[in-house]
Amino acid sequence: MKAGDKRVHLGYAEALRLGNIQLLRRLDRSALNIASIALGLSFYASLLLTDTIYRTYESLGGANVSVEATYYWLVAIALTVSVVGITNAMLISVQERVKEIGTMKCLGALDRHIVLLFLIEALLQGLVGGVIGYAIGLIAAILSTGFSAGYDIILKVPAAQNLTLFASSLALAVALSTTATIYPAYRASKLDPVEALRYDL
Amino acid sequence: MIYDTVIELNGLKRHYDVGGETVKALDGVDLSIGRGEYVSLIGPSGSGKTTLFNMIGGLDRPTGGSVLIDSVDISKLDAYELAWLRCRRIGYIFQSFNLISILTALENVALPTVFAGTPHDEGIRKARKLLESVGLGERLNHKPMQLSAGQQQRVAIARALANDPAIILADEPTGNLDLNTGTEIIDLLHGLNKTRGLTLVAATHDLKMIKASDRVVWMRDGKVEKIERGTIPINITQKTEKEP
Repeated sequence: MKAGDKRVHLGYAEALRLGNIQLLRRLDRSALNIASIALGLSFYASLLLTDTIYRTYESLGGANVSVEATYYWLVAIALTVSVVGITNAMLISVQERVKEIGTMKCLGALDRHIVLLFLIEALLQGLVGGVIGYAIGLIAAILSTGFSAGYDIILKVPAAQNLTLFASSLALAVALSTTATIYPAYRASKLDPVEALRYDL
Repeated sequence: MIYDTVIELNGLKRHYDVGGETVKALDGVDLSIGRGEYVSLIGPSGSGKTTLFNMIGGLDRPTGGSVLIDSVDISKLDAYELAWLRCRRIGYIFQSFNLISILTALENVALPTVFAGTPHDEGIRKARKLLESVGLGERLNHKPMQLSAGQQQRVAIARALANDPAIILADEPTGNLDLNTGTEIIDLLHGLNKTRGLTLVAATHDLKMIKASDRVVWMRDGKVEKIERGTIPINITQKTEKEP
């Protein structure tokens, strides 16, 4: 063995490829996580969008309507619930993949590679959940404000504001999904390969 | 000794503490295995075969004694170097195959090349060649569940070879296979040992595997009970002298 070249790798491109495979081929489990993120986020996005729409309406000469502050507390609770749900689902996922994780370690994966694989999977779930959640939130906001402010009011909301909201929703979705997965990913990475390979479901 | 030692175990001990009682899974094992040698390990369950494998593969750390792979004491390696050892120098074959269920045969075989840092296309190309060489060229995109037990073990063998390791560790590779399939797998492993000069260490109860090996190590209670030549004796010194 020569010193200096004794390194194992896991590039981001490969991690992304593997994360994508996990997402698509374990669709039942990832769909649950995506739904959890999408639901929490749709609530968040619909509130912010409603607020933006009302303010646009007001600036165009309409009446002053606002979102009640208590709703924001509800959003915070909804998002917390979705984080807890994802953590739970991911912990079950780790349990299901004990042998798989042990095998990967046997093939040369480092602890941080396992963490990276789980986090990338969470990031992808967050992105998909975020897009879906934002779309649902947008529809909900248009429907709920349409009666008083008109259904085409969304077109009058400044594009930059709309885009910022979209970007912040996606960022939030990804942040929540990956935060929820930190602990399960850590647990997975600390699995002892000897124990893991002996493990039977 | 004249031949090149690839694995050297010196007074290897592994003790576990189970409920205040010390279990001696390995209790002073001395063994050296030459490059290109085919060694079978036999012993009742609980005799320490799997623990011995985990030690050679750097998956477990000894309580006492040392494991030298290519003259390097692996207990002195850090996590990165151990991962490298597992990735590049050692190929594992398990009784229950341990293929990754959501990956196709091709992706399973290419997986070790990912950790070795091989570019994606090259890894896939190599995996395809390996699968063809074990007779699964027509089954590249099948998932493990769509393959028979024997085919799954072939995929596992191809995966073990993905990074051109020097050592193959096989833990009961025919344990889950029927007689004919088992024989095919043994022939495949034996062929790899002879044609590629791979060092093959296999735990087994299978008489056919024992017959094919150069040496047979009998284990009992964490110790080497006796070492015998296989029934096809090969002069290791002569064999390895031919190598560069």
